[in-house]
Amino acid sequence: MSIVKDIPSAKKPFKRAYVGIFLWFTGRAIQAAAKVDKEVKKEFDNLPDDFTFSLGCLPNGPSMVIGKRNGAVKYLGGNPGQHKVHVRLAIKSVDAAFLILSFQESTALATTRNRLITDGEVPYALAVIRILDIVEVYLLPKIIAGLAVKRYPKQWSAGRKLGGRIGIYTRTILGI
Amino acid sequence: MLLPDYYEFCCRVKIVAGHDALEKIPELLTERGAKRPLIITDKGVASAGLIDIVSAALKDRLFADLIADNVPPDSDLRVVNQLAKLYQENDCDAIIAVGGGSVMDTAKGVNIVVSENAADLMAFSGVGALKRPLKPLIAVPTTAGTGSEVTQVAVIKDHEKHLKMAFGSYFLLPDISVLDSRMTMTMPPLITAMTGMDALSHAVEAYYCLQKNPLSDAHSLAAVRMIYHYLPIVAENPSDRNARLSMAVGACLAGIAFSNSMVGLVHNLGHATGSVCGVPHGICMAIMLPYGLEYNMHKREEAIAGLLLPMTGEAVYRETPPAQRADKVVSLIRQLNADLNTITGGRHARFFQEVKDREGKPLVPREVLPEIARAALSDGASIYNPEDTDYEDNLMVLEAAWEGIPLDRNKIKRG
Repeated sequence: MSIVKDIPSAKKPFKRAYVGIFLWFTGRAIQAAAKVDKEVKKEFDNLPDDFTFSLGCLPNGPSMVIGKRNGAVKYLGGNPGQHKVHVRLAIKSVDAAFLILSFQESTALATTRNRLITDGEVPYALAVIRILDIVEVYLLPKIIAGLAVKRYPKQWSAGRKLGGRIGIYTRTILGI
Repeated sequence: MLLPDYYEFCCRVKIVAGHDALEKIPELLTERGAKRPLIITDKGVASAGLIDIVSAALKDRLFADLIADNVPPDSDLRVVNQLAKLYQENDCDAIIAVGGGSVMDTAKGVNIVVSENAADLMAFSGVGALKRPLKPLIAVPTTAGTGSEVTQVAVIKDHEKHLKMAFGSYFLLPDISVLDSRMTMTMPPLITAMTGMDALSHAVEAYYCLQKNPLSDAHSLAAVRMIYHYLPIVAENPSDRNARLSMAVGACLAGIAFSNSMVGLVHNLGHATGSVCGVPHGICMAIMLPYGLEYNMHKREEAIAGLLLPMTGEAVYRETPPAQRADKVVSLIRQLNADLNTITGGRHARFFQEVKDREGKPLVPREVLPEIARAALSDGASIYNPEDTDYEDNLMVLEAAWEGIPLDRNKIKRG
């Protein structure tokens, strides 16, 4: 009889699948938002030409990678290893990623609870966080977006909210 | 009371405090098997005679004649490498840093180079790059303000490549901090005032920012009590050694608090103002502190109100209706700035319009406020502020802080 008991790592297929699908969809939505929303476009315009960032969970993903290529913002898939990444946002576990991406915990709260690792220059990382916040406001109903971001932008016009949502959802689904 | 579901707290620095704490250093180094420390300081500290006091405390019991006093006001990679070479050539086995924030950062940088035999300091930048303990480092602060004697971060500038390298690791915490009243006794009232307000801003922001927790709160409250009480006393009577020691301990407590709970808008806008206009950090903190409280009041009223107790004591706290306590905290901090302004003969600025250089020229012209508001968007302290901030918010707060008028809280955007 072995004196050492093997403890297999929990695969957590449901959480992993949820996080994977969420990141895939959000990645495409960021690409769409960069075309639809002026504020997101401006944030990307202020970043370097080949700027690339990833958001994923440790140790092996899932992840999403977004990059600026020839002036356009592109969802570059789920493998950060293939790219030179300027900012890497890594959530420490799939459990923590599930908490954040199912809006049980805001990004700010997750940061204070030391669930996120940020690699890269601070100004770039802050721009990425602002972009993620805007995209979450477009993708989610107000009651859920209010949990995800520090302050829900009540001052946005109804036209911006509605037009932006339609544009971003359409482009995200079509991948354009 | 805000009790987080999860939090982390760490301070493993041995703190030695007293009117003759320096004399303990030889014994502390011997305990760590060190015999030959390199003393790192700057010319201002040396010319104020503080290194003579340190040397006198060490002499006969330690071989401590190796003193490098060439740390510039801004930490510099070239100087870090020079001092690391000096350390290695003289077979040193510990570092004693005597000074303010820049000296502490430089000493931490030197410690990385000599402990890791690092040819490229950049390889150790970022959070978590250091994996093992470094050489013994003793921090002897000469201001009661920065708290860097108990923080785990260092910023080193590479002036040739125009790079700012930030390092964060528990291994960067000094092994020992020595708080000795003699080290701050010669600080003039103006520097005393601005560094003291820096310490108060650490204690206060740590008490309402997002990463606060019961352990950082305990340090914050103790720090607020000591700093608020003793700062006007030391500004008025610089040679009051008990008050000096209390301020050193208060600043250290505030350093422990904020390095665990982080800081927010006050530091966010203060860093930006410092980098755009060159205003000393402590002045920015003094001016911004009431505005940080006002901006976050709707989210943190209970916490801010709680600061009244350590500031005024039980009698005033009880007499003040609960709904007025948070506002009273803000007005007392404004009053403290006004008192320091009087004590320093008008040199301690209460708002940005009053900040002038030595020739009397305004350091923060109103037209640069938009630039400061934009620069603040690139500063990481915004992450930990309870309320979100954007360019318009930053500008609104800066304009009020420039004029010296209370913030119109009806204009603060809410989610």
